[in-house]
Amino acid sequence: METKTKTGIGNPISRLEGKLKVMGKAKYSSEFSFENLAFAQGIQSTIASGRITAIDTSEAEKQEGVLKIITYQNALELKGYNGRFESPSTKGISPSLQTPEIHFYGEYIGVVVAETFEQARYAANLIKVTYAEDQHKTNFEEHLDSVYKPDKANGNPADTSWGDLEAGLNQAAAKIDVTYNTPIEHHHPMELHNIIAVWEGDKVTAYASTQMVENAVTTIAETFQMPKENVRVITPYVGGGFGSKLQLREHATLGIMAAKMVDRPVQLTVTRHEMFTAIGFRQHNRQRMRLGADQDGNLTAVGHDTTSHTSFTEEFQETCGLMTRMLYKTPNSLVTHRLMKLNLPSPRWMRAPGEAPGSFALESAMDELAHELRMDPAELRIQNDTQVDPSNDKPFSSRQLVECIRIGAKKFDWKNKWNPKPGHTQKDNWMVGYGMSASSRAAPYLKSSAEVTLKRDGDAVTAVLKTDATDIGTGTYTILGQTVAETLNLDIKDVQVELGDSKFPVSPGSGGSWGAASFANGTREACLNAINNLKTLASTDEDLTVAELMKQAKLNELTATGTAAPTEEFDDYSVYSFGANFCEVWVDKDTGMVRLEHFVNVASAGKILNPKTAYGQIIGGITWGVGQALTEHSEVEPNHGNFITRSFADYHVPVNLDLGKIDVVFVPEEDYIANPMGVKGIGELGITSIAAAIGNAVFNATGRRVRDLPITPQKVITTPVTA
Amino acid sequence: MRPFQFHCPSSAAEALQKHSRDQKTHYLGGGTNLIDLMKEDVERPDHLIEVADLPFKEITQTANGGLMLGATLNNNKTANHRLVRKNFPLLTMAMLSAATEQIRNMATNGGNLLQRTRCPYYFETSMPCNKREPGSGCGALNGANSKSAIFGWSESCVATHPSDMCVALAALNAKVHVEQADGSSRVIPFTEFHRLPGDQPEKDTNLETGELITGIELPKSEFPDHYYYYKVRERSSYAFALVSAAVGLQMQGNTIIKAGLALGKVAHKPWKLENVERFLEGKEASLSTFEAAAELAFEDAQPLSKNEYKIELGKKTLVQALVRAAARS
Repeated sequence: METKTKTGIGNPISRLEGKLKVMGKAKYSSEFSFENLAFAQGIQSTIASGRITAIDTSEAEKQEGVLKIITYQNALELKGYNGRFESPSTKGISPSLQTPEIHFYGEYIGVVVAETFEQARYAANLIKVTYAEDQHKTNFEEHLDSVYKPDKANGNPADTSWGDLEAGLNQAAAKIDVTYNTPIEHHHPMELHNIIAVWEGDKVTAYASTQMVENAVTTIAETFQMPKENVRVITPYVGGGFGSKLQLREHATLGIMAAKMVDRPVQLTVTRHEMFTAIGFRQHNRQRMRLGADQDGNLTAVGHDTTSHTSFTEEFQETCGLMTRMLYKTPNSLVTHRLMKLNLPSPRWMRAPGEAPGSFALESAMDELAHELRMDPAELRIQNDTQVDPSNDKPFSSRQLVECIRIGAKKFDWKNKWNPKPGHTQKDNWMVGYGMSASSRAAPYLKSSAEVTLKRDGDAVTAVLKTDATDIGTGTYTILGQTVAETLNLDIKDVQVELGDSKFPVSPGSGGSWGAASFANGTREACLNAINNLKTLASTDEDLTVAELMKQAKLNELTATGTAAPTEEFDDYSVYSFGANFCEVWVDKDTGMVRLEHFVNVASAGKILNPKTAYGQIIGGITWGVGQALTEHSEVEPNHGNFITRSFADYHVPVNLDLGKIDVVFVPEEDYIANPMGVKGIGELGITSIAAAIGNAVFNATGRRVRDLPITPQKVITTPVTA
Repeated sequence: MRPFQFHCPSSAAEALQKHSRDQKTHYLGGGTNLIDLMKEDVERPDHLIEVADLPFKEITQTANGGLMLGATLNNNKTANHRLVRKNFPLLTMAMLSAATEQIRNMATNGGNLLQRTRCPYYFETSMPCNKREPGSGCGALNGANSKSAIFGWSESCVATHPSDMCVALAALNAKVHVEQADGSSRVIPFTEFHRLPGDQPEKDTNLETGELITGIELPKSEFPDHYYYYKVRERSSYAFALVSAAVGLQMQGNTIIKAGLALGKVAHKPWKLENVERFLEGKEASLSTFEAAAELAFEDAQPLSKNEYKIELGKKTLVQALVRAAARS
């Protein structure tokens, strides 16, 4: 039955929902309409630390259309809140308006509900809040002496070590000890966070922009202490998430609470301005890298110490050292993570949490070490390749890092282009440089269920696939349609995919690059079960078509469910995707403006379900990597402790002109240890190590090593030439 | 959004009559700046008078060989007009470096002159800003000022003017034509149109309240061959400048006969470099001359705590603009 159809997996077919999106007919969560829909606007704190002493809502209450103003003084008591905040988890509770305490600037302290959006916005501006202000702690540099070791760094051990780092450094022929800084960055999916909450008795339906439907249900149920079966979450389309939509955040709590209190459907959309404080961000990471190698380039020591910050209410730390623990073989390793508490919002998972900033440090440091060794940086990576994960001694299920580097080098013509002497090539006012990096990202695979319904009309069979998985712009509809077409040997035009509804079978949602592998295998299981059921009902073992089987079983309709989950064997291996990046940048010798001329990305990520959507994901990842490298940063105001850059005019995401030519190569890979379909995630592999490749190329162009991202004109011209 | 009254006059005279002569009334051009500011509760007008459709949409040749740019013509049509491209390519280059195609299609010429600063303290209503709320203080003075002014700032305001178009207009010695409520009109030299903040940073320009811009006059073309607008920014497109330089040169052989120069994003107004223009006139075009010119241009720069880099960056930007203008023909 594994006959390939032209629309089965591996074919670069266009997105099933593409036309709907272009026509504006794909319905996002904010586009559902209800009679009697009221609109809510959040109110945010304007101090970073202290407590509310008074709230004057009198002027706001008088305004036309205002239905309710909710603050901690009259908010619903959230039974799930016991005075403490939980450490971030994708299904943790999201309490709001339970105390007058202020933990950061921009914290939600109230919500106005009105007949129209404009009325709610206007009234919110009329509310006067008085505070007792405490001295805020928001300056990273000033609080370095307050760091502590967290119990966990995003679920991983804070510290790991083997061998003796100092001894390894002492015996090294070449070593480096340098510190990198990556700034605060914000997710900024194009679609704003949103909820429309509709109560019917003690049941609530939330039309919410979320990456994970089941976790959203759990968050609502636990925050409001209600049975999960009374909560329904609907999110057919999601306009990007980048980690910010893994958990339903406080805005959702406010929307649901407001709907309950005014006894009407309520919509609350987080404004772009609020997106800087309401939905998490990536924190400032300071990373000290100590690397040592012998004369031949064999690593003798790898040290990676990360210092970052969390909030006073929750503890979250990115595991910047994740990739450092597993990418290269070394006899001596020390990887640590430390935290300080600041009066800033809680940081959260964002675009390859851990790997994105961590890979900048590791892969820049490898370039610096190669420079010390006078060695080709591509060869240094190859020299230190390992087929066994040094952090746990497990074999990799598959690892083609060396192949990625070799293929990328050839495609880029690295051997001929790269010149170890910085400043080697000048074109007019531009200094031309080349850089490369290696990358890796875990390829997780989680339990995922789906339901398929087959309908027969004569000889024609159509299939409807349902799962609560989400399509956050990545192509889930399409790859699941292809999986159904492949497994049932149908044409994709006869397959309908329905996603993003909590009444459908449970998936792990989109996040952590596990979506494609998990959803597709769950879908395949449902389809295989359908075939097996049909064979039983048709009393045959023959590999007939589903139409023939249904005819023989005298069936016009059949529904089957299926669940895929990792086996025990999965835990015996380290399962990762790998990649290599090569790029050419041009740096203006006077102004320090950096232009990306050409980028080559090679990815080894198992079976590519759809080269077209996969290509789109890698390009998206590279784009975020360019943002990380060159443009994105949020600045904390030094006196007031707020994010002072709170619009897209100040927070620069890359534009098309910043990208240059991008080539993407997928290396064929069969890895059935990873999962039965051999699929690995690529969503986050795409951003990993991009910034390092660009920074290394800037160094190669100019001899200036900019260790603080982003590499702005200001930093290029003020960083000394060191080579 | 706050409630406001919207007026659609059919003539300039009617628009002028409708104006309340106080800060509560704003003229509305393309709305690419004012409407954003109203949404964020930064600007709070009670009355908006739409002027975008008033009949100042022509580009006409003046008696002395210059051009009159209608105030309500959009930025794209202006920049791409045949006579502008031919005689004032410096203006075309500067205007097309600004914003995006979509915004330039909406933005009017008059509105471009009146756009407000991009200082983040001005945009953030919870922050002190004397420009938005006189008397509340200047947050940027000792705050996040890496993009603030290095010339002409005061203790009460360190904001910069964001326009690209205006930098070229300053270099080109343009004049602004305005009408008043009593039917009279006046002409303001471009360098006197915008003002320095002093102790009244809420006032960006020397327009009197209620005056309406009707056109921008360009004098006889002087720099159709040797010109350059160099805009340094943090991304390749759709970003305001860190610093910019507009250069027009009139050359005879390698000798500079006349120069028109201005810097952008370094002060509360486009920063006209009259002394540098005089310095260059009569000199041979060379890198050392241009470097000396840049030293002179930044002689009086006064950096704040986080923007000293703008001096070095500004000098190099000006030198490169001069080099490219001289080489162009």
